[in-house]
Amino acid sequence: MNPLIELRHLGKTYASARTGEPVEALADIDLSLRRGEFLAIVGPSGCGKSTLLSLVAGFAKPTRGEVLFEGAPVTGPGPERGVMFQDYALFPWRTVHGNVVFGPWARGVAPATRDQRARELIAMVGLTGFEHRYPHELSGGMRQRCALARMLANDPVLWLMDEPLAAVDLQTRIILQEELLRLWGDENPAAQRPTVMFVTHGIDEAVLLADRVLVLGRRPGRVKALVEVPLERPRARLRTSPEFALLVEQVWTLIRDEAAQAIVEEVQ
Amino acid sequence: MSHALAPPLPTRVRIAVPLIVIGVALLLWEVAVRATRTQGLVPVPSGIAASGLALTTSGVIFEAMAGSLKRVAIGFAIGAGIGIPLGIAVGTLRPLERSLRPVLDSLRSIAPIAWIPMAILWLGVRGNAALFVVSYAATFPFIVSASQAVRIVDARLVDAARALGASRWIVLRAVLMPSTLPMLFTGARIALAFAWGSIIAAELAIGIKIAGQGRNVAGIGQLMVETLYVKRDVDALVFYMLAIGIVSLAIDAGLRRLQQRLLPWDRR
Repeated sequence: MNPLIELRHLGKTYASARTGEPVEALADIDLSLRRGEFLAIVGPSGCGKSTLLSLVAGFAKPTRGEVLFEGAPVTGPGPERGVMFQDYALFPWRTVHGNVVFGPWARGVAPATRDQRARELIAMVGLTGFEHRYPHELSGGMRQRCALARMLANDPVLWLMDEPLAAVDLQTRIILQEELLRLWGDENPAAQRPTVMFVTHGIDEAVLLADRVLVLGRRPGRVKALVEVPLERPRARLRTSPEFALLVEQVWTLIRDEAAQAIVEEVQ
Repeated sequence: MSHALAPPLPTRVRIAVPLIVIGVALLLWEVAVRATRTQGLVPVPSGIAASGLALTTSGVIFEAMAGSLKRVAIGFAIGAGIGIPLGIAVGTLRPLERSLRPVLDSLRSIAPIAWIPMAILWLGVRGNAALFVVSYAATFPFIVSASQAVRIVDARLVDAARALGASRWIVLRAVLMPSTLPMLFTGARIALAFAWGSIIAAELAIGIKIAGQGRNVAGIGQLMVETLYVKRDVDALVFYMLAIGIVSLAIDAGLRRLQQRLLPWDRR
């Protein structure tokens, strides 16, 4: 069986919004994802993590190389690749129900079926009773859950998540991490799980969630390391184990110098 | 700040005091005008009240108001019909914007009222001249708001919709259109205020031409000219001014309500 996602010599250069000069965001990324794998992507700011996701999502076209999905090149966005955005990107004019039902509605699923599915998902993410609220009436954590339910409504085989938990407070984040693992199928056999590409700047979050952690180096983003996380699943209670701490330290060591450099370069 | 420490006044007193103050002021006004024999030049409260009663019971004011409002409504619709498509085109097509903007800006800087002589020359005094001026006044707020509205559409919401399986048509209908509504609505409110402001001016100008020629009075502006030159009724004039102000307030309050009602998700 071919891999679900294959990145071949992938590179992306875009014109800087400020100066108009070309900026090389990604250079020569080679990677394939196993089916049912949870891949976390970490790296210093400006390493092209988000660019990588938008190429796989099909929002942007690669400058060099290609993205293969099920063996075929990605030419645009599609419902089989669900996306969850860092700042939610919920439709402000749609209620929770209206947001969750959007995908099936857009694809022409019958009203009864899509409403039923939306109700299930809203219950699954714990938003029952808030179906008719608008996004601006929700807390950050609730918006995030709504965005997750919206993505899941299409039953995507690939979840593309761009720092989905960055904007919520620490306690909410820990709870959402556990919920995310449960929804993904942490307790199920690997064959039943969807494949995930999860961008984060939380190294402990990456180690907690992922089967492998992709470490990208600074601009242009290149694969610096691909760290296997051999921790047992379910993971929710592993936070305090020594193996966990060791892996976090290992990944941190890989990033540390460049992250420090990134702080300085950001000012320049 | 001695009054800050004083006990709060009872409700009855709080309502009664301003009423008494206003009553005394009106009385003084009335006495002053009568005593100085400036009647006929300076309005008196009793006269304004009497004309108000006469004009409302005879229905003259309502007829004139309906005539003006009808033209405002048609002009508003014409302004929307021209302004919204033009604004969308200017906002989305760069080359069109570059060639049209100087033209639109110079046209916009000509006050609608300045068109009245030309409008009378071309369209006559029967009402179409006023309609032209009103349409002209209403068009520009629509152009400006529509071109802004399409420019500030959140690209990530479009991405989100496409990743959920939305076709171009669905993106247009379910993302682009609703996201432009708040700004369009604000533009509509400005357009209506402009239209109402210019209809009075246009009718006044046209009224001067037809005053005393025995033609039918069609709008509030013409009625005011007739009142000034034919009837010389200063009290009625002031009553018209009050009526114009009340209608402006009512229109804007109504639209504000409607905006909150139709766009409950737009909290501003």
